[in-house]
Amino acid sequence: MSDTSLISLPPAAEADLVRRLQARDESAMTLFYDRYSAALYGVIFRIVKAEDEAEDVLQEALVKIWHAFASYDASKGRLFTWVLNICRNLSIDKIRSRQHRVGSRTQGLDDSLTAQRQAAPTTFRPEHIGLQEITQKLVPEQRQIIDLLYFEGFTQSEVAEELNLPLGTVKTRARTAIKVLSKLIR
Amino acid sequence: MENIQAYIESGILEQYALGELSPAEQAAVEAEAARHPEVREELAQVQAALGFYAEAHSVTPPAAMRERVLANVMAQIAAPATAATPNAALRADLDAAVSQNPSAAAASAQPIAGEAVIRPLTPAAEAPASSRSVWAMAASVALLLSLGANALLYSRWKDASSDLVALQNEQSRFATTTQVVERQLGELRQENQVLRSDEFRAVALVGTKDAPSTRARVLFNPATHKVYVDVKSMPALPAGKQYQLWALADGKPVDAGMIAQATAEGADLQEMKEIASAQAFAVTIEPAGGSASPTMPIQAMGAVAAASKS
Repeated sequence: MSDTSLISLPPAAEADLVRRLQARDESAMTLFYDRYSAALYGVIFRIVKAEDEAEDVLQEALVKIWHAFASYDASKGRLFTWVLNICRNLSIDKIRSRQHRVGSRTQGLDDSLTAQRQAAPTTFRPEHIGLQEITQKLVPEQRQIIDLLYFEGFTQSEVAEELNLPLGTVKTRARTAIKVLSKLIR
Repeated sequence: MENIQAYIESGILEQYALGELSPAEQAAVEAEAARHPEVREELAQVQAALGFYAEAHSVTPPAAMRERVLANVMAQIAAPATAATPNAALRADLDAAVSQNPSAAAASAQPIAGEAVIRPLTPAAEAPASSRSVWAMAASVALLLSLGANALLYSRWKDASSDLVALQNEQSRFATTTQVVERQLGELRQENQVLRSDEFRAVALVGTKDAPSTRARVLFNPATHKVYVDVKSMPALPAGKQYQLWALADGKPVDAGMIAQATAEGADLQEMKEIASAQAFAVTIEPAGGSASPTMPIQAMGAVAAASKS
């Protein structure tokens, strides 16, 4: 059922790509780039919010994916999920270390959210048609929570603290939002 | 069974998918998923949903980045593992093939050597040796040519297969777009039905003195209890605030749901919570996420005409 999701290469093509990466076929990285770079770059950019850093992270992620490929286990999940997590983690590490350098742990929710809202639509226009739908289907408070969790690397308790909501409410909203998203896939 | 349901609803799978868990907790979730198909299925759905959300934010990197990044990546992944570079691999193949050849030639020479024991004719024994090396050289050249041809064919085949994947991608993207468009068409049809239906009562909401420019319409169906809101104009709100719709039933405000930002900007009809009965509808500004009962002055209001038909 989840195979009908938009993310996937056709399963056969994904399996083929996995096989070639497992066989250490370097030319497969070009294919990999052509297929996944837009999705990965979009996520990385949303997190680090700077073009040059996003490029660094993408490059770092590709090298890491190549070297760590032996630890990818297809029975545990899709290739896309695995590479997405690698990119998210590297990006979140990046902003954490940056925040460390600057000395302020979080810039405060309002600042970071408005910065995000402005950065995204003006300089970068995600081309995926699904985004419009998501904006329509997720109520703003669900979207805010998903964005904090997914793009700002907050934990659910940090979100609760930041938004001054009970943890239970955050959990419920996150779960509902994810349910809405998975309905959109089908 | 119920335990599994409780486990799924605890939110731990979302935490797993968002990368919030410690390695030990991750391993525990993976063990649950391996043991229970329901957990596995739910986890796959959560991951697919987040993947979908991520993909929705796709941004094609600048074209110049492709060469740059790929070149750097190739340089980095090739450096530590020199033995695995295609050239070295090819050379190794070639060495192996060439070193196999003389031994094959030596093997075929053995019967001749055996005959030579019976009839030891020295000049004859030398002749096959030189022709043998000619054959070995010819074979090596043929082998080299064939390796070259193979390499060429291999690279063409790879190009073809990458073209194929590109086309498949294109096709799946196209299919996705079509799906989304179809779904949106379905929604528009539904909206159109709402707008044309006689069962729906249109309630014009007129701005109060707090927001004189606000104009909106509520479409209320007393039979099916469906409520839609259609905004013509509403002032933009500061961050952290949101419009909330209320139904007034026997003088009491009932929450009819939050008005999404896109709706407030006039993008679309929005389906609101179902309302059993109402004499009027009103809009207030509330903290994002809404309030249980209105805390702020009414921004716009309108009465339902002839509402008490049921």
